[in-house]
Amino acid sequence: MQIGAVLKVDGLSYIYPSGKAVFEDISFEVGENEFVSIVGPSGIGKSTLLRVISYLIPPTRGKVILLGEEIKAPSSRIALIHQSIATFPWMTALENVRIVVDGKVKDRSKANEIARKMLEVVGLRGAEDLYPKEMSGGMRQRVAIARALAANPIVLLMDEPFAHLDELTAEGLRQEIYYILFNPETTLKAVILVSHNLDEVLELSDRVLVMNGSPARVVNDLSINIPRPRQPRDPRFNEYLDKIYSSLTPIR
Amino acid sequence: MNPIIVIAAASTATMARVLALIGLTILVGWFMAYGATRNGFIESVYVSAIAALESVPVITFFPVVLMVFVYRIGGPVGTELATDVLVLTAIAWNIWIAQYQALKTIPNDLLEVSRNYEFGFWKTMRRLIVPYSMPKIAANLFPSFADALFYITVSEVFTVGTKTYSTFGIGSLIAELIASGNWSLVWYAMASLAIWVVALTFFFRWFARYSVSKYGLDTAMQVRRRGRTSLRRTYQAWGSLVGPMKRLSRHFSTLARVPAIPIAERRAGWRILKRTTKYVVIGIGAFLMFVISLEIGEFIISVPGTYWLFLLGYTPLILYNLAFDYLRVFIITVISLLIAVFVGYALAVRQRVAAFVLPVVQVLSAFPAPVYFPLVFIATYRYVVHIPFGTELYVLFLGFISTFYYVFYSFWIGVQAVPNEFWEIMRNYELGYFKKLRSIVLPGTLPYLVAGLSSTIDSAWGGLMIGEYWPNIYDGKGLIVRYGLMKMLDLYTYSGNIGLAGWSSLIFAIIVVIFSISFTKALMDLARKKYVIEEGVYGV
Repeated sequence: MQIGAVLKVDGLSYIYPSGKAVFEDISFEVGENEFVSIVGPSGIGKSTLLRVISYLIPPTRGKVILLGEEIKAPSSRIALIHQSIATFPWMTALENVRIVVDGKVKDRSKANEIARKMLEVVGLRGAEDLYPKEMSGGMRQRVAIARALAANPIVLLMDEPFAHLDELTAEGLRQEIYYILFNPETTLKAVILVSHNLDEVLELSDRVLVMNGSPARVVNDLSINIPRPRQPRDPRFNEYLDKIYSSLTPIR
Repeated sequence: MNPIIVIAAASTATMARVLALIGLTILVGWFMAYGATRNGFIESVYVSAIAALESVPVITFFPVVLMVFVYRIGGPVGTELATDVLVLTAIAWNIWIAQYQALKTIPNDLLEVSRNYEFGFWKTMRRLIVPYSMPKIAANLFPSFADALFYITVSEVFTVGTKTYSTFGIGSLIAELIASGNWSLVWYAMASLAIWVVALTFFFRWFARYSVSKYGLDTAMQVRRRGRTSLRRTYQAWGSLVGPMKRLSRHFSTLARVPAIPIAERRAGWRILKRTTKYVVIGIGAFLMFVISLEIGEFIISVPGTYWLFLLGYTPLILYNLAFDYLRVFIITVISLLIAVFVGYALAVRQRVAAFVLPVVQVLSAFPAPVYFPLVFIATYRYVVHIPFGTELYVLFLGFISTFYYVFYSFWIGVQAVPNEFWEIMRNYELGYFKKLRSIVLPGTLPYLVAGLSSTIDSAWGGLMIGEYWPNIYDGKGLIVRYGLMKMLDLYTYSGNIGLAGWSSLIFAIIVVIFSISFTKALMDLARKKYVIEEGVYGV
């Protein structure tokens, strides 16, 4: 394991019950404070890979090691943010976040305090008592992120978190997300993002893993060496974009 | 004649009666729903009438049915019609409201296609309305079938005063065989009924899967308007579908989020249909209203004023007995709810076990409780009779087996409809069993639970009606409770006091409707407003 590696994915394979192999022998490591993105053609198994990493789906072969310890059950230390923005409609923003704290913190006021702090981290101070119906998609996704952060995760898995937001909202959240996630108030040490949006991936990531083939494998592991904040007009941005495109095509 | 052939013929006759009535209901329902969607006034009357009628337990129609068909028409035809109408009241409302909902949710794009290419009335009906309503009809077939079987087996034979009326069928035959103590033939008769129940249950399951896969719309096409929905029936209906459940649930929830189409545009969708049809529908409706009003008016005038006073004098006693029945219904409901939640949840999270257990439960739920209850009674009464409240235990048990499945299925389906994202959140954040149940699963399934509870409460009355006064189940032993309105209804009917039975039914119906409006509907409105779990997933 490399120095500072937080998460190690070691030879992961997943085969559907029907017998179809989705991906095979996926191995990579994610270091401390590293933002890694996974890209690949539609249907290649990126979202499934995130679920296998979080053990929501047990792998057919291989293992996931978090801080030197093998993951054998779903754990809030590896938290998943859904593409579809899932918040409980009958709970306020505060309750939506507090639900993951309640069992771990006996004192209700302490749980409230943690939930409030995480809502503040994601920029939702003052929106604690709003119900999801009263919030925009962007605000709801911030609630989902606050919920994940309140659970004290080590790794955050984000499955196309901006896909259902309009472009302006998505861009606003994108600009903030890196600093929200690696805020000193959180326990987070690494992020893995799955996305189809290559601009988004280049804007946010320290590394990009490209999946391709059937069954899918990691065909490229690219470090993005552009200082932040990144601008799509930067010529290096386009160079990286070309490299990713060349790994993605042809779709195998 | 060979008794086996008689048994086979009797069970076939019963099933033919049920299927023919379901078929008739569906056929009539298409035209009525069509009429309702064409005219705002008819629509309001139609939906309100169904909402009121479906909240009244089937048994309250019994005295009315007796009065109209047995006394006025009489003979075998009158008895047959009485049975058929009683069964019709058990099956019609949910199928009709489902057909109405189907018509109201036809995607605007498809309606525009039918207008664009100048489909006529019959072509629109054949190519659009009938296929589009198939999944909703299929989803409602099983509850209707189970309800119909429950009521048909008790309505095929009934006693009024000294006279017993019966029509040929497996219900009347089993009653006859039990009375004569011919136990081997009773077993054959039950086996024959069981074969039909199993075959038809599996047929309905297959049909549900087929209709969803062939006619189900799984896209976010814009619909005209959802119309006024019957949440109870909508949620309950999913109970018949195991395989395509999630898809249908998604389909429903997608429709729920679609914005309403302006009324002018909505109406324009139906302009292809001729104006004359509208007047025909209005004419038929007016004629029916006239006939019913005439009957009611004639009845009120024919009853002397002193008799009305006599009936009013009985009202406190009726209410007193009704309070006991509400207590029984409450106990049955609480027990059903507890079992439904814990067993339903356990099954919902164990799909492999559920795949085996649910069809079995489904078949059992369709098998009418009044048919097999005497066997349970005969096997146990020697022991139970010594227990305090032994009769009450039997009555509660009968009420329970008659009605438990509704809340069980509704809850189970509700759990199935919980989006996968929420299951992942529960697992990901390692929420405990009771935390999951209390904070997510129970609130998230509330609309389904309320729907199931509503059906359970309504159907419990049917079980009580049978159990509170069943004087001779076997060997002179039977069930007679001390207090209970259902017993009073039975007694009045058996003694031929139809006036008092009708009055008791009317008081009962009024209380039930008030309860339904003040409690069930309020709870359902809350569930619909706040606890629709599908709305928690933003990006669908």
